[in-house]
Amino acid sequence: MACCGAREIRDKDLVIVGTGFPTMSANIAKHTHAPGASMMQESGVFDARPARPALSVGDPCLNPGAAMIGGLIEVMGMFLQGGWIDVGFLAGSQVDRFGNINTTVIGNYDSPKSRLPGSGGANPIGALAKRVLIIALHNTRTLAERVDFITTPGYLDGPGARERCGLPAGTGPEVIITNKAVLRFDRDSKEAYLESYHPGSSVEEVVKLTPWKLRVSEAVRETEPPRAEELRVLRKVLDPLGMIRIYEKKGYV
Amino acid sequence: MGKVMSTAEAVGRFVGDGDFLFIGGYICRPPFAAIHEIIRQKKRDLTVTRSNAADDFDMLIGAGCVKRFISTFISLGLYGLARCYRRSIEKGIPHKIEIEEYTNLSLPLMLMAGALGMPFVPVKDMAGTDLLKISSFMGEKKYKQIDSPFDGSPVLLAPALRPDVAIIHVQQADEEGNAQMWGIGGDCKWGANAAQKVIVSCERIVSRETVGTDPSRTIVPSFKVVAVTEEPFGAHPGYTPGFYDVDLTYGYLYQQASSTAEGFDKFLDEWVYGMKDRAGYTQHFIQRFGYAQFKKLQAKFDYGYPVSYAY
Repeated sequence: MACCGAREIRDKDLVIVGTGFPTMSANIAKHTHAPGASMMQESGVFDARPARPALSVGDPCLNPGAAMIGGLIEVMGMFLQGGWIDVGFLAGSQVDRFGNINTTVIGNYDSPKSRLPGSGGANPIGALAKRVLIIALHNTRTLAERVDFITTPGYLDGPGARERCGLPAGTGPEVIITNKAVLRFDRDSKEAYLESYHPGSSVEEVVKLTPWKLRVSEAVRETEPPRAEELRVLRKVLDPLGMIRIYEKKGYV
Repeated sequence: MGKVMSTAEAVGRFVGDGDFLFIGGYICRPPFAAIHEIIRQKKRDLTVTRSNAADDFDMLIGAGCVKRFISTFISLGLYGLARCYRRSIEKGIPHKIEIEEYTNLSLPLMLMAGALGMPFVPVKDMAGTDLLKISSFMGEKKYKQIDSPFDGSPVLLAPALRPDVAIIHVQQADEEGNAQMWGIGGDCKWGANAAQKVIVSCERIVSRETVGTDPSRTIVPSFKVVAVTEEPFGAHPGYTPGFYDVDLTYGYLYQQASSTAEGFDKFLDEWVYGMKDRAGYTQHFIQRFGYAQFKKLQAKFDYGYPVSYAY
């Protein structure tokens, strides 16, 4: 998954990252095909050079060596709302076929089955980054035909909806990267379809695990497995502490 | 009368029941010394706000101090969901708080508008989402949508926020309250400047001359500050760059304790109600976890230098 994320990042992209997966993806890209990419954390840090993997976007290890430290107004206001950020990564408790994300509540808002943390930086990143990469576990609980609550806008209810409510034209989710597959959004219908399934999975399995009638690309293929160089960077350069094991345990790898 | 006082006195004099508080700290520099004092003094019906709230807000909610929460997000980060918060919303323990939800872009901008004396601020996020379909105590004043008078495009307006009191924890301040902070900022600067009164809790009080050696670090000027309290280790278990690192062991301890209402009450008894002040708390920490653990958290630091990037 981290490698799929990395491949979406282009050279010179400005990427807003959270900890863990997004950082790994952005760093794989930076150490392989996109040396000019640079990273920001929403807490206010630009181009951090941490000595160990950061445990949160506010981890003090992001301070020494960074090129700039500001706050939320700088990163979320000046750079994100200002229109400078190319790529954002998002995860959610629920993700639907239009790429809308729920991190607010499972069940009814007023009498919730489960109350989640809320938007934080997710809504503005989903609204304002030029391209959004969504990371989700592929199961019928995380993926939904329609999320219980739209915390973060994907394509809302379909084509043109983002623009109609005033979100910047041409923005929106690019892919949903899951532990089973890569789903991309159809240019016309704005609905996620199956582009590739990961090695070890299959079209049938992915379709079965997706709770909406998943359209399959005519050019559907197996996801290219991680290249040796990507794995080397991930395990040796970026993750000497073996933090990826946490994600392996959760099923993200 | 001078502004330097104990945290107990500052909270007693300047935080009233029913007040609207901004509480600084974005993973870093949560003003825990003051948070514990608010709980000890049993302040009630507070409205509280900050972007990315964490264990400090969870604790205030669990202790029954909070009536309303202007929120963007609350969790214990690495350790998972904020359990006192969830118990309040899902089960009404100790009581159900009212929440008004924004985002980590809109809330800092609303505080900035408050600080700048503007009535509202246009924001580009939240559009099209369910965040606009819900509101509680702010009702129709949660936001407005207009067509931009300049190009006709739809724009959301969010109201300015002007807290009664801001409580922030910074690395250093002088006796008049010129407060200096470095490292990750979050919305601390804007939240503090949006408030009518600022309580500055700091790791150390320095001279006005020391402030003057690097004035670009000052985030709140003295005239906004009503109280200065010196509280070394005051943001523990969060971190304060240049002074100490985040304490993951203690953070996990809180997460475990707060996963049940009984565990949370026991935690409060031990670490808050059972302590007279922050010095007592620090002593208790050292007794409980050992001086080596305390020392391990401390940054390598040259006290003679005005600003340190060490962490």
